[in-house]
Amino acid sequence: MAKKPDLLPGALLPGTLAMLILKTLTRAPLHGYGIALSIKRISDDVLTVEEGSLYPALQRLLVQGWVKAEWKMTETNRRARYYTLTDEGRKQLGLEVSEFERMIAAIGRVLQQPQEA
Amino acid sequence: MTKFLRKLALLLRRDRFRSELDEEMAFHRAEAEKRFEETGMTPKQARRAAKRQFGNQTRLREQSHEAVAFRFESVWQDLRYALRQMQRAPGFTLAVVLTLALGIGANTAIFSVVHATLLRDLPYPDAARIVRIEDLPLKGTSAEGLTGVPRVFDLQARSKSFSAIGLMYLDTQTLTDGNRLPEHLDIAAVSAPFWRVLGTKPLVGRVFDEREDHANSAPVAVLSYGAWQRLFGGDLAAVGRVVTINRQPTTLIGVMPPTFEMPAQTDLWRPAQLDPAQWSAYRGDGTRWANVFARVKPGITDAAATAELRTLGTQLAVEHPQTDSDWQFRLISLREYLYGQVKPAILVLFAASAVLLLIACLNVGNLMLSRAVGRQQEVALRQALGASRARVTRQLLTEAAMLSLLGGILGCVAASALVRFAAPFLPGVLRAQGAVAQDWLVDWRVDWLVDWPVAGFALAVSLGTAVLVAMAPVWSTGRADLGDALKSAGTRLAGSSGHRARSCFIALQVGLSLVLLVTACLLTESLWKLTQTPLGFVPEHVLTFSLKLPWNSDPASVTRFYDEVQRRLEALPGVKAVGTGILPTSAYNLRVSYDVDWKPRTANQDAISAQSVVISGNYLGALGVPLLAGRPVKPNELTVMVNEEFVRQYLPDRNPLGRHIFFGGPKGDVESREIVGITGDTRGIGGSLARPVQPELYVEALGYQVGRSFVVRSSLPPESLVPAIRGQLRQVDPQQSLGEPRTLDAMVQKSVAQPRLNMALLVAFAAIALTLACVGIYGVVAYSVAQRRQEIGVRMALGASRGQISALFLKRTLASALIGLSCGGAATLLLTRLLRSQLYGVKPNDPLTFLIATLLLLAPVFAASLRPALKAASLDPMEALRTE
Repeated sequence: MAKKPDLLPGALLPGTLAMLILKTLTRAPLHGYGIALSIKRISDDVLTVEEGSLYPALQRLLVQGWVKAEWKMTETNRRARYYTLTDEGRKQLGLEVSEFERMIAAIGRVLQQPQEA
Repeated sequence: MTKFLRKLALLLRRDRFRSELDEEMAFHRAEAEKRFEETGMTPKQARRAAKRQFGNQTRLREQSHEAVAFRFESVWQDLRYALRQMQRAPGFTLAVVLTLALGIGANTAIFSVVHATLLRDLPYPDAARIVRIEDLPLKGTSAEGLTGVPRVFDLQARSKSFSAIGLMYLDTQTLTDGNRLPEHLDIAAVSAPFWRVLGTKPLVGRVFDEREDHANSAPVAVLSYGAWQRLFGGDLAAVGRVVTINRQPTTLIGVMPPTFEMPAQTDLWRPAQLDPAQWSAYRGDGTRWANVFARVKPGITDAAATAELRTLGTQLAVEHPQTDSDWQFRLISLREYLYGQVKPAILVLFAASAVLLLIACLNVGNLMLSRAVGRQQEVALRQALGASRARVTRQLLTEAAMLSLLGGILGCVAASALVRFAAPFLPGVLRAQGAVAQDWLVDWRVDWLVDWPVAGFALAVSLGTAVLVAMAPVWSTGRADLGDALKSAGTRLAGSSGHRARSCFIALQVGLSLVLLVTACLLTESLWKLTQTPLGFVPEHVLTFSLKLPWNSDPASVTRFYDEVQRRLEALPGVKAVGTGILPTSAYNLRVSYDVDWKPRTANQDAISAQSVVISGNYLGALGVPLLAGRPVKPNELTVMVNEEFVRQYLPDRNPLGRHIFFGGPKGDVESREIVGITGDTRGIGGSLARPVQPELYVEALGYQVGRSFVVRSSLPPESLVPAIRGQLRQVDPQQSLGEPRTLDAMVQKSVAQPRLNMALLVAFAAIALTLACVGIYGVVAYSVAQRRQEIGVRMALGASRGQISALFLKRTLASALIGLSCGGAATLLLTRLLRSQLYGVKPNDPLTFLIATLLLLAPVFAASLRPALKAASLDPMEALRTE
């Protein structure tokens, strides 16, 4: 009997949240809510960023110096904290993406091995 | 690096970080709410949904905080939390801190002694290379390692292992300086190389060299720091002054620093002025009075130096078969020489204090454990809220560390105060060499290099204690089942849980306490025997003092002087008997070999050997030694008295009176002396009271005995005689000083000071240990009674009698105690071997002492467990069953 897959639907692969946040920020500065929304939307609702991990992750990125934060007004005229990608963050994103692709490729190769009869 | 700075910036603006985060999250929730409303929810529903989606805001905030915080911030949290816990339970905190302070304080105090004597560098440059060369007889009793002067010269001439070999002997002399009263001085006569052996630079002026160490060179002297302060008020002009020492003008050329105590409590050093030319003919036994110190050359091991000494000893034995064949050199380190005798005592005390600390740790661990049980719910709650086990463990460790550091600080302060207070009262060798006299805690602040080992030791002990003490609660929370603990704890019916831990606790407490109790009992018994075994003399109502004439005085005038003093003292009111001779417990030792007329004479081998005691006046009467047979010796006749031990060893089955002993006369001739009297045995002649009595010979003093010790028995308080004696002395000879006036009683007390200190400390340790053990065992039994109330109720309901209930608890406790006793007994047997050298008249495995110690231990332990056991029996079964 087949079990449910280990990964819960919508959960992120471990270690990929920072990469996703950085990638999302390449297009424009966004606030926390915007980041969560953007990831959900672009991934066609497959990936859900939990608030519980989003904000600690953002603090970590800030401390690492990969993003900057500043308070701005939204279109609806509310104060919100916008995160901008720094040069260092861009470099880090490159690193993480290539590492991630290497990983996926490796996993792919393992999965594509023909099954023995 | 920049990451560190960013963290630091965030740390400094922590409030702003928090408010920004709050605002950010509020914004997020508001946006989410808006979206939910757009999907058609009512505002209330939308708010609830947004909140649910967002989760636990506090936790979220903490996680974000952790992401940016330093690790030490959570340590800080732990500390604050631990402090709050301590405030909430002041009684518990006080008990724990005091118990640990006792344990750590005792350890630190004893360690400061260990450090000062056995560990720290001695206060001489490159002290590890300074050795003492001892000359030991191949058979018979030693002369405490003293060497004959000609042998010292032979060593100096032939050995290649030492950069310098110096000799030292002790003397007393009189200082006269202008109008000042004659002053008695303790003097060390040393050869010039002595200064190179020790290597200490003088504080002021200089020391003497070979040119001033010749038989006829002008007398010079180096002052000790103490004598400089006492005699000259520390005046720099004292150096260079000419004073009269033993009627000879002597130039003071230098002052040694206060740390230079070779030997301790000497007033000045003067050149020994011994020439090889003068002394080479003097190879007899009677010339062994030189302490020899040497500095081993760099690169030469002690083993190599010893081997060379052996070779030289053999050479000398061949060259001088009559005098040197029975002796062999031995090499010991300076530390061994200074502290070798007290080392076993110090180690025993150190071990005892460690055992005491272990007992204290056990008690505190037990307290922490019962508290941990009470806190199980709290800990479970913390774990349910997401605290990891590591986090909880760290919290418990922090609490334990804080408690033991507090205990450690308190213990350190107490130990420092104690050491400072007690140092002047410590027995001889511990006080000398500036050993323990320094207040290390204060020194530590002024010059922290000096005693950081002691402070470091205290810190290490405190931290080690913390780990030991925290083990119990950590272990107990580690095993606790979360769900169980969250439900009201303590609903277990059976009392078996933790039973093994409690048994272990009781057994360990009892075993460790037994070790201390047996040791304390042994030392007490030993001291009792040491002081209560008949001394052979009567120390009460006796004043002693010493006089010394210049060594080159005319023998006739010496005899005249002492006869006159004797006559005048006998005439003083209140004086019952006066005499001169060896003072008991003083370390004067002269073992000489003789030929006798009742044994066949062999070439180059003397028939007997005995301690020689030179007396004059009514020495036996003044000391209170009985004359068992015959009559006392008289001046100007060839007679001798012997003691009982002499008779026992050499004349067991013959009448000793009328036999003859052959003495070497002053001019190389032989005198035959008749035994005319037998005296009782006297303990303490030639050193410690613990030393077995030696065969002794008593002979009348002659004119060349320039220094003599007086024994004055009086009906008045002995000290009150001193001014009158001084007055009489001044009339006989205004140049004479009165040396070391002391009561014989004080001398005897002083000689047992070290065993008394050992005993007092161990009795104190044992008493503390016993108290802690009883309190601990009482607590454990009481706790187990409380825990098993329901079980007791059930047992009673099923028909158990009150006696059976009490017996249940008593049996368990005593069974554990018995296990502890047997293990402790075995450990004690091993440990008390260390004590052997410290005991007098009692064996380390004395069964009676073990029995007494066991009873001393069991009685209070039984009482401590009896009370809660009786309380268990008096429980009302109905109530016990109802409580839930």
